[in-house]
Amino acid sequence: MTTTAPIHPNVHVGEPPALLLDGITKTYRSKAGAVDALRGVTYHFHRGSFTAVMGPSGSGKSTLLQCAAGLDKPTTGTVLLGGTGLHGLSEVALTKLRREQMGFVFQAYNLLPSLTVYDNVALPLRLTGKRPRRDEVHQVLDQVGLGGMARRRPAELSGGQQQRVAIARALITRPAVFFADEPTGALDSTASRQILSLLREATDRAGQTVVMVTHDPVAAAYAERVLFLSDGLVAGSLDRGTPQQIAAAMSDLER
Amino acid sequence: MFFLSRQTVRRHRSLYAGSFVALAVGVFLLGLAATATAATIAYDAPPGSSIPVSLPGYDGEPARTVDVPLSGEDASGLQVVLSMVGVISGFITIFVIASTFAFAVAARRREIGLLRLIGATPGQIRRMVLGEALVVAFAASATGTVLAQLATPLLLAKASYTELAPVKLEPASPWLPLAIAMGAGMVVAMLGARSAARRAGKVGAVDALREAALEPPRIGPVRIGFGVLFLAGGIVLLSLIRPSSGEAAAPLAMFTPMLLVIALTLLAPLVVPWIGRLWAIPLVAWTRVSGRLARSNVVAAPRRSASLAAPILGISAIAGSMVLSLSFVADAAAATIRDSVLAPIVVTAPAEESASPAAGSGRPDRELRERILQTPGVAAVDGSIPLRLIRTDSDSAELEDAEGIDLTVAPKARRMTAVEGDLSKLAGKTVAIGKEMAGFEQYEVGDEIPVTYTDRSTDRLKIVAILADAFGVNASLIIPEDLARAHAPNAQPAQWFVLPADGVSPDSVVAGLDQNLAGSGADAVPAAVWEAAQDEGVRQGNQLGLILLLGPAALYSAIAIVNTLLMGSLQRGHEFVTSRLLGATPAQIRRMVLWESTLVGVVALSLGTAITVTVGILIRHAMTDGLADVAVTVPWGPLLGIAGTCLVLAVGAALAPTAVILRHSHPSAAAAE
Ligand SMILES: Nc1ncnc2c1ncn2[C@@H]1O[C@H](COP(=O)(O)OP(=O)(O)OP(=O)(O)O)[C@@H](O)[C@H]1O
Ligand SMILES: [Mg+2]
Repeated sequence: MTTTAPIHPNVHVGEPPALLLDGITKTYRSKAGAVDALRGVTYHFHRGSFTAVMGPSGSGKSTLLQCAAGLDKPTTGTVLLGGTGLHGLSEVALTKLRREQMGFVFQAYNLLPSLTVYDNVALPLRLTGKRPRRDEVHQVLDQVGLGGMARRRPAELSGGQQQRVAIARALITRPAVFFADEPTGALDSTASRQILSLLREATDRAGQTVVMVTHDPVAAAYAERVLFLSDGLVAGSLDRGTPQQIAAAMSDLER
Repeated sequence: MFFLSRQTVRRHRSLYAGSFVALAVGVFLLGLAATATAATIAYDAPPGSSIPVSLPGYDGEPARTVDVPLSGEDASGLQVVLSMVGVISGFITIFVIASTFAFAVAARRREIGLLRLIGATPGQIRRMVLGEALVVAFAASATGTVLAQLATPLLLAKASYTELAPVKLEPASPWLPLAIAMGAGMVVAMLGARSAARRAGKVGAVDALREAALEPPRIGPVRIGFGVLFLAGGIVLLSLIRPSSGEAAAPLAMFTPMLLVIALTLLAPLVVPWIGRLWAIPLVAWTRVSGRLARSNVVAAPRRSASLAAPILGISAIAGSMVLSLSFVADAAAATIRDSVLAPIVVTAPAEESASPAAGSGRPDRELRERILQTPGVAAVDGSIPLRLIRTDSDSAELEDAEGIDLTVAPKARRMTAVEGDLSKLAGKTVAIGKEMAGFEQYEVGDEIPVTYTDRSTDRLKIVAILADAFGVNASLIIPEDLARAHAPNAQPAQWFVLPADGVSPDSVVAGLDQNLAGSGADAVPAAVWEAAQDEGVRQGNQLGLILLLGPAALYSAIAIVNTLLMGSLQRGHEFVTSRLLGATPAQIRRMVLWESTLVGVVALSLGTAITVTVGILIRHAMTDGLADVAVTVPWGPLLGIAGTCLVLAVGAALAPTAVILRHSHPSAAAAE
């Protein structure tokens, strides 16, 4: 098996990481009992890296993403984004950090149905209080290949087109880190390819960092590194794997 | 954020159409009440219709003179009703707007989460919701105001020359009242939206990611705190409805349900699931799957069920309490009248053909009295002289009904039991008063009451007796006949209480009287018939009051009920379509919605019933103190009508959009949305 040791698998000296997770645990408590979704995850995501997170269902991938993005508070451990600790931040400060530094694409429900494509893309700028420039918005829309669809509403787009609008919206604020949870989960292979290429481009051209949860080995192969989670722990990683290698590592893990 | 507010209102038109209609109707009613009140204020009494009375002043307050309008020749009755209509409309408006906005927020949890995710701060979300409220409130208030202005002349035309305002009312300048109504509408909407906005601000970014947008199960401590506070207030008011509260019992019966309704609405997310489970037991036993689904939908989304139940609870409790209380009050009044009339026969005076007292030949009443007395078998007749006089206090002047009685007959024909003092001393400048007035004004036997007669002369009347109350039979001030005749020379008795001679059957006397009085317009009936007619009059008066007070509120609540249930079903289009995908037939979904809305309606109605019954029992207890054999008239028709209408509206409003959604959506649409 090609996985490396789970403890501090990628600590580099020198350049500070774009995103740093240190000893993250997350326990969900409910009437039915407590669930340890994460049981101590430490990992550094480098600037300009494209990392896929894989693991069996229920292994804690979504939880990891939510904790890393400050959407949910880890039970213990710290998250540093570009050197800023997310723990002590107020809800407002966290929100501002999120809109300036992070972009999100999820499997579904990414867009506001009441707004046109143009307005959806321009929304993060408006929330910041800036007046969005028309050419700026049209430029990102061109970039994701939706030049002529600015006036449409989400309901009038295909699933793949909707995901591209979500990417355009994430791109417009030039965030440091992209978080994507199964962004291609509901798409066919052609549409998936377009989305993944856009994410790949973001790291290659603009040096942005991408963290993407996926079940699909083909999608994961777009990343330079695959991080495997199992039972709330980092179970290993695989660099520049082919879809076949990734699939094999996954089935090892699920055994 | 205003840009977003405008867009979202447009998108969620169906969600806000209800709030719009509700608020527009609310502002319309408020506006009407305001313009009509302005008209009553602007109304100038014609000269000579009021009497100046000088008050002595006390405790350093200077003496002053007030004008007391005579014989209700003003619009004060209408003013009272209008202000009550205003209070009820305002209350229901706040209530409905708060619940529709809360609903709009709950229905959009996921969308709000998404906004938070891409960088909206809690403050921005709050402002967005408030902005939406502002857009809706402005449009609705403006619409309501314009409609009110258009309808004002119509209302005034209808209200002029009625019992409430026996004068001609002209529209006054509309600007101030309409500005007040518009402002009130906006304020009410923003107040209603505030809690919804606060809740929206608490939605987290992570809510965008959670599959089922299940609401948080618990309600906040602040809400519980306020709920308990209002409940305590309601209980305090309930405890005030006592035999000793006298006239205050009726307003208490109006405001107590309001407090209880607020309390139960605040606590509804805690209460509704329990009662829902209880009512669902027969439902689950009876149906196969739809009842079970309905139960879990009602119980698992307590907040949503609570908002759906709120308007039904509101109107059923308030309308029910008032209808039941007034009926019980009328029962008590009927029993009082029955106990107070001792004479077996009553002759009612002919209807007044003309208001001018000079008309007619001489003294028709004297002539009538003679005719009655000459009838065989009549021993005595008690026809008292009604008059009005102004009773003066150190700081107020009150127009009161009084009557001049013949001391030799009246106490035999009617119950005039002195609880204090001695009625036989009623002679000269003296007065006997009712117990309630004595209690209110703290009069004692021997005190002197300053009065002003309608002929503008003044007097001081010494209290010789305090009598047990006999409303509807005895006037509150009883004076000697001569005194009354001196100040009201043209007054005619409204009825004569006739005492037959010993051993003569009343029936034969009635027959004799009928013969003797033929052509005079007067009518002789057995006392029981007269009492029944009085009771009927009271109930008809109540009915008019109820229609005036509850009509707008009922109309308004109907809109609210339809509104919330309509929204509730529209918002669930996605869920319905998914259920279709899973293999549920349209009929199954319709049945589920039917049972669900029925369940919500029944839960709300049982809470409303609990309030109604509590208030009704207390009012009855308070009113029947000291009376025996009081009839129990439960107005089943109106009460069941209220409940039935609520249920039909709720079920209809939930089913109609469901049917539309099911017809227009293919199962495949579920994936696309
Ligand atoms: N809000 C929550 N409350 C309670 N338990 C939760 C919650 N969210 C997740 N869990 C539990 O935490 C564990 C990890 O969940 P998570 O969603 O992170 O898994 P995942 O790896 O993303 O799975 P999948 O591949 O199916 O999306 C699971 O056991 C899940 O049941
Ligand atoms: Mg997941």
